[in-house]
Amino acid sequence: MVQRIFNMASAPQDSALQLPALPRTETAVNGSRASRIEEDVVALFDRFRSPLFRYLLAFRVGAPDAEEIVQEVFLALFRHLREGKSRVNLQGWIFRVGHNLALKRRLRAQRETAAPAEASADWSPGPETQAAEQQRYRRLQAVFRALPEQDQCCLSLRAEGLRYREIADVLGVSLGTVANSMERSLARLNRADRCGEGSWETSRRTYVAK
Amino acid sequence: MLPNDPHLTDRDLILAADGELAPRREAAVRAHLETCWPCRVREAELQSTIAEYVRWHRGNLGAQLPPAAGPRALLKAQLEARAASAAPAGWLRALVPMTAALLILSAGVWVAQTRRSNDLLVPKNSVTPGETRAVTISNLCRESVSEGARAVPVSLRKKVFEEYGITDARPNAYEVDYLITPELGGVDSIRNLWPQPYSTVWNAHVKDMLEERLHALVCSGQVDLATAQREIATDWIGAYKKYFHTARPL
Repeated sequence: MVQRIFNMASAPQDSALQLPALPRTETAVNGSRASRIEEDVVALFDRFRSPLFRYLLAFRVGAPDAEEIVQEVFLALFRHLREGKSRVNLQGWIFRVGHNLALKRRLRAQRETAAPAEASADWSPGPETQAAEQQRYRRLQAVFRALPEQDQCCLSLRAEGLRYREIADVLGVSLGTVANSMERSLARLNRADRCGEGSWETSRRTYVAK
Repeated sequence: MLPNDPHLTDRDLILAADGELAPRREAAVRAHLETCWPCRVREAELQSTIAEYVRWHRGNLGAQLPPAAGPRALLKAQLEARAASAAPAGWLRALVPMTAALLILSAGVWVAQTRRSNDLLVPKNSVTPGETRAVTISNLCRESVSEGARAVPVSLRKKVFEEYGITDARPNAYEVDYLITPELGGVDSIRNLWPQPYSTVWNAHVKDMLEERLHALVCSGQVDLATAQREIATDWIGAYKKYFHTARPL
């Protein structure tokens, strides 16, 4: 079921992520080629704007800045494709560029204001949500925000459908670091999720002892 | 598996679930899970945690996503401007950049307006902290909110726009609104007025609903006046969510 849930949220490697190569001859570099690239970029925008935006928000980028970063990413993608560069794994490319732009923007904001940008909104459950569920979500939110930033990034990217190798590429870390991060983060979330029913560790010890 | 422990590690379970194990190791993990109930239970717990996390991630962050139409139009316009360098010759060569420039300009105006509107969801505390007068509950509750409504003088409206650096405001785009409504003891003062946009989700009409609700609650004794004043002045959106039991405007 873990796999099913992540797969539901994920974008599998398909033709939209790995676009067919365009001819690079002199005559091919014309209006129609640019127009085709433009269509590709808009199609990728339609597909990845929301996942990238959510990732940036999780990275504590405010919504107006996130909107600007998304624009920058897809303009950069247009340049990337127009220069005939690799069309392999564009999903990973989009998140990597978005992540780097967010880092740059944060550094600039820190220099200017001496305070990091902070995402503004808290999750506010609807009236239909059960009280116990609300409490659970608040616990998850608190645990998520207490995680080291790299762990938050790994979880967010995984929830947006990236594989471990892609996450490692986006964050510039090793595959082992991603695996460690996932293990650590899920263990903490699991403990929080089980809070009230007895911790996961306790339940595991019980099961294993039998 | 753990040393001296026949059971699978968390890492094994997570990597197997994410399809990140080498095929041979994955087969061993699957075989173990088929026979081991405790490990299956732990796997189910992890699955449940991930499901909760994904639901939270999407619910929390998805609710903050602005509509895509404007940004999409802006992107298309900018792409067209860049593509124009490779546009066909002739009169189209001149037309395409002009059209693209116009599109960028209009999309830019849209983004700027949206951004400014979002900036004005709540007033600047330094300019509009809220200001009240000494008043009794019986006086406040003598008239309804709509009966008590009155127009802000033009000179004061002008001053409010100046304070917020708005020089090109369309008359119908904003309501120069009281942060603390007069029906809750607010006064006609630059410190209690700000240009509240109509175009945002959390707009002037939504705040009007909150003002009516708080007025009714104060008059029925369910909320004391000081609390109502403080809540509407410090976080009117939070107060709306609290008193209407909703995350979004009704």
